[in-house]
Amino acid sequence: MPWVTVLIIIPLFGALSMGIVPAGGLFQARLQAALAAGLTLVMSLIMLGHFHRSFAGPQFVEHAGWATQVGLDWNVWVDGISIWLIILTTGLFALAVGYLCFRTPERPRAFLALILLAEVGLLGLFSAGNLVLFYVFWELMLVPFYFMIGMWGGPGRQLASIKFVIYTMFGSLLMLVSIVSTAVIAHGITGIYTFDILALRNVAYTRPESIWLLAGFLLAFVIKLPLWPFHGWLPDAYRTSPIVVVGLLAAVVSKAGVYGLLRIGLPLFPRGMEFFQYPIMLLALVSIVYGSLVAWRQPTMRMLVGYSSLAHLGFIALGIAAIDSQAAQGAVLQMVNHGVVVVAAFAIVGIISSRTGKEEIDDIGGLAAGAPWLAGLFLVVTMASLAIPGSNSFAGEFFILAGVFRHDWWAASIAMIGVVYASVYMLRLYQSSMNGPTRGADPRRAELKVRDVVVLVPLISVMLFIALWPQVLVGASSAAVDNAVAPAQVVVGRPASEIHALVLPNPLPATALPSATSSAGGSAQ
Amino acid sequence: MVITTLAWIVIGLPLGGALLLSLWPGEPDRALSRAVGVGTVATGFVLSAIVFFDLLSRTPSHRHAVQTLWQWINVDGLRINLAILVDPLSTMMMLIITGVGALIVWYSIEYMAEDRDYRRFFAEMNFFIFAMLLLVLAANFFFLIVGWALVGLASYLLIGYYYDKPSAVAAAKKAFVINVIGDVGLVLGALLIAKTFGTLDYASVFSQAPLRLGSGSFTAEMICLLLFVGCAAKSAQIPLHTWLPDAMEGPTPVSALIHAATMVTAGVYLIVRCNVLYHLAPYVSDYIAVTGAVTLLIAASIAIVQEDIKRVLAWSTVSQIGYMIMAAGLGLYSEAMFHLLMHAFFKALLFLTAGIVIHALAGEQSLNRMGGLHRLLTFASFAMLIGCLAISGIPPFSGFFSKDEILSTAMAAGPLGVVCGTAGVIGAGMTAFYMFRMYFRAFGGPERDGGYHPHPHMCGPAMAIPVGVLAVLATVGGFIQVPGGWHLVTTWLAPSLPAQPSIDASATVQWITSLVSIALAATGIAVAWWLFGAGPERRLAYADKLRGVRGVLLAQWGFDEVYESVVIEPGRELGDAAIRTAEPDLTQGIVAVATGTAMVTARGLHRMQSGLVRTYAFAMIAGAAVVGLIVVLAR
Repeated sequence: MPWVTVLIIIPLFGALSMGIVPAGGLFQARLQAALAAGLTLVMSLIMLGHFHRSFAGPQFVEHAGWATQVGLDWNVWVDGISIWLIILTTGLFALAVGYLCFRTPERPRAFLALILLAEVGLLGLFSAGNLVLFYVFWELMLVPFYFMIGMWGGPGRQLASIKFVIYTMFGSLLMLVSIVSTAVIAHGITGIYTFDILALRNVAYTRPESIWLLAGFLLAFVIKLPLWPFHGWLPDAYRTSPIVVVGLLAAVVSKAGVYGLLRIGLPLFPRGMEFFQYPIMLLALVSIVYGSLVAWRQPTMRMLVGYSSLAHLGFIALGIAAIDSQAAQGAVLQMVNHGVVVVAAFAIVGIISSRTGKEEIDDIGGLAAGAPWLAGLFLVVTMASLAIPGSNSFAGEFFILAGVFRHDWWAASIAMIGVVYASVYMLRLYQSSMNGPTRGADPRRAELKVRDVVVLVPLISVMLFIALWPQVLVGASSAAVDNAVAPAQVVVGRPASEIHALVLPNPLPATALPSATSSAGGSAQ
Repeated sequence: MVITTLAWIVIGLPLGGALLLSLWPGEPDRALSRAVGVGTVATGFVLSAIVFFDLLSRTPSHRHAVQTLWQWINVDGLRINLAILVDPLSTMMMLIITGVGALIVWYSIEYMAEDRDYRRFFAEMNFFIFAMLLLVLAANFFFLIVGWALVGLASYLLIGYYYDKPSAVAAAKKAFVINVIGDVGLVLGALLIAKTFGTLDYASVFSQAPLRLGSGSFTAEMICLLLFVGCAAKSAQIPLHTWLPDAMEGPTPVSALIHAATMVTAGVYLIVRCNVLYHLAPYVSDYIAVTGAVTLLIAASIAIVQEDIKRVLAWSTVSQIGYMIMAAGLGLYSEAMFHLLMHAFFKALLFLTAGIVIHALAGEQSLNRMGGLHRLLTFASFAMLIGCLAISGIPPFSGFFSKDEILSTAMAAGPLGVVCGTAGVIGAGMTAFYMFRMYFRAFGGPERDGGYHPHPHMCGPAMAIPVGVLAVLATVGGFIQVPGGWHLVTTWLAPSLPAQPSIDASATVQWITSLVSIALAATGIAVAWWLFGAGPERRLAYADKLRGVRGVLLAQWGFDEVYESVVIEPGRELGDAAIRTAEPDLTQGIVAVATGTAMVTARGLHRMQSGLVRTYAFAMIAGAAVVGLIVVLAR
């Protein structure tokens, strides 16, 4: 069964099916959207069940020729890194659609169609096996977000959406130039014309080639992440977008940038990464400190969480730029953690501001007195967000820092400033809304309703599960992570004891999955 | 491995209790909250005692066991297990936590009886006990840090227990943030350990350390210094001590359990646990000893001017932990642990007795509105007297034995030991003075003007019995370790303390130190009587004469002001400046450049849309030619 293709097609069908919903068919629209998102989630979970955990290379590979002579084909697969991002995507989109079914937006058919279309873009991106597909899905994901911000946003949405689209497109245009050049230059070296990510991995670009090719990709990645100072689209987009869109932007779309670094930057252009390692690290560190400071001083709840996300993504980028398998593994774990935690944080912000009718932090206070369940769950989310030891986020953060510390202890020490400030700004958010004398609205009105619990409890369960047993996630991704980092590790001269894989095993097609017990693949040394 | 299973149950019981009480739908019956809250901890104590006797029945070299629940993570060779270590040190801590904890939770039944959030109180107390047990039982640095941070969370929740009170909320935040600063030190220490040894397991680190790290080597010193940052924050040592006095915003049983008897001694526990590492770091150890000595003197000086009965006790806690930290820095690990144990008894006693007074006076905490309570609250008066005698080091009360052992052994531990020991002896005199100042002002003298309304009432048995038990322990507890006689604590801890030096102070030194410190303490009590026992006139006269000194002490040596103006205010301004300037100018500038470029290009391209097929065809051919050229040239 072509698992990955089907996975991408289901939400696409769901989006198209909105076209047959009659104008007043609210129930039908909700049902179809929920079915599509739910089915995608179930599919991805079944896929996870069949996933070969210790195998380092691509699995569920699907290949269909198209214009093969110019290197274009349908080539999708997943590995230990992308499987978790796909699960994150399907899970969070299912929650988002579920939330939208409870709180229907205006023009629901169009909104639901766009949400599902965004899911198509992300799933395609995370499973793309060649650079052209990567680029197509990268841009495809942008379109629905443009419309969702521009048509459903708050005041100032027009400017925000245009800024978002032009700015990110500016980045991705250079990526397109780099993609074409990569294939052309690789053709010059190997004589084979291809966009296949796996094939391009073994091409020996010269150092200047590697640097320039990576530079085009990098700009797209750091804008999408975003890293300081390329986060200019973030404030307006976060301020004006519907809260669901903000949650998805922070939780999933931002991961596209990190994924690009991990999937393309490190394995394809190790020499470029060597060149850009410290610049990226520096931007990541600035993002951490700057994001934390600015988050602390934000007047509204959602902007506080938004800027905290800038700091958290700085941590993840730091883990990739460290060129270390511990740090990269921590970064992969943290991508999932951040996605889950930031969505929960935005969900709570959304609940509070819709019940009290207020966005400003100083206008709300003392809700714990009437809403103990809200206060309790918010506390869990706050602690996960500030990465208290014992939380899921700390597991990721600890390994990012451990890997960074091994080679650049100073960078880990600077990043710690962000850890301290995280407690300052998150407690500001929590305490001033939950504690102190009652301000704003009647606190009892803020208490969680069933529909809120339905969104929050799955997220918190995932947080607790990862906090208790991160090995489940790590065990299934470490081989792929080791593989992604290895080329760059060799280039920057890491000791052999830290490098675990260089040669990829042969890809596993979807039809010929080995039984889970045989360790035929493993990480080839 | 039955004892480790028991230990897991000891950890699990309060966690289960906390979850049960938190998740109980609706408001559970008060009897249920009580039963769960006290029952889990008391059962934990019984099981801990069984573990203790089991260990006791073994030969000393076999008194340790590790049990792993599951492999928590394994990344690139750094393997972390969810595992506990049961050994003499962790068992001793387990007994203190569950024993003193059970007494204090029991006491809370009555103390918190009027509270509207009964179940939340017991849930959070149980959560604290769980976290503290995890801290002391963890078999590796990672879960030590987890327990370390979770006790910080419990402390945060309980300091801010009265969450509608802004001062309590602010105190909770301060405690949390300062403890996160400590956590950062601890995490960096753990990262350095992981980098150096490739593991975080105690057993493996402690066995490799003497072979891989030279004494006084940079790595050893750095590891110990970073870990000490965590200790200083948790144990309220200078300069990270400012949160503890503010933590008195929490209910009194919380102050007794968390901010006196158990959590704040975690720093001492960690140094003692890592005695092998600290043995390899002589410079940092000296620094720690000096920190302890300075802290004990400064805190004692501040305690002299406090008007709030709980803040007197809070500063005395800072000072007493200073003694323990000083001892640990001098390498006197078992002496530090002995004082930790005795301090748990008498400080819990002091706080709970203060609680009886506060309860009887309907929440009054100021010494200015107390006086003459001896006749009204005789039981509390005697209990408080025992506590004051014990902390002042008057024989035969418990504090005498433990404090004296630290001081006399310090005198034999080289020049720095003599300096620190002298500081400790002076501190002993100050301690007696400020404790009896509090005692005489609350219980002695005439009743306050206008008397007490309503009339102070004696507490019920749920509060009296735990206080009575602690009073007995604070009276006779010291006899478990008698100079020249038996050394039960030192002998018991010996298997956990391979780096414990064998310093034996000569009998002469012991006698001189004891006599001097007793004499100083007696002088302190006498002066306190002369100033405060008689009445307010002499006190007020002297307060006026010593206005300058009092000002410094009342400002608590200015630490809070310095932090506000050096750390917090600049951070706030930096954040605001970033929002004012960097955000609009730099980041939006980059956006403007990018979008501007795109727009200009678009307009340029727009002109090319001429509608002429010729032009398009030319452009296509030209484009293909360029691509082709690149392809050819790139070969």
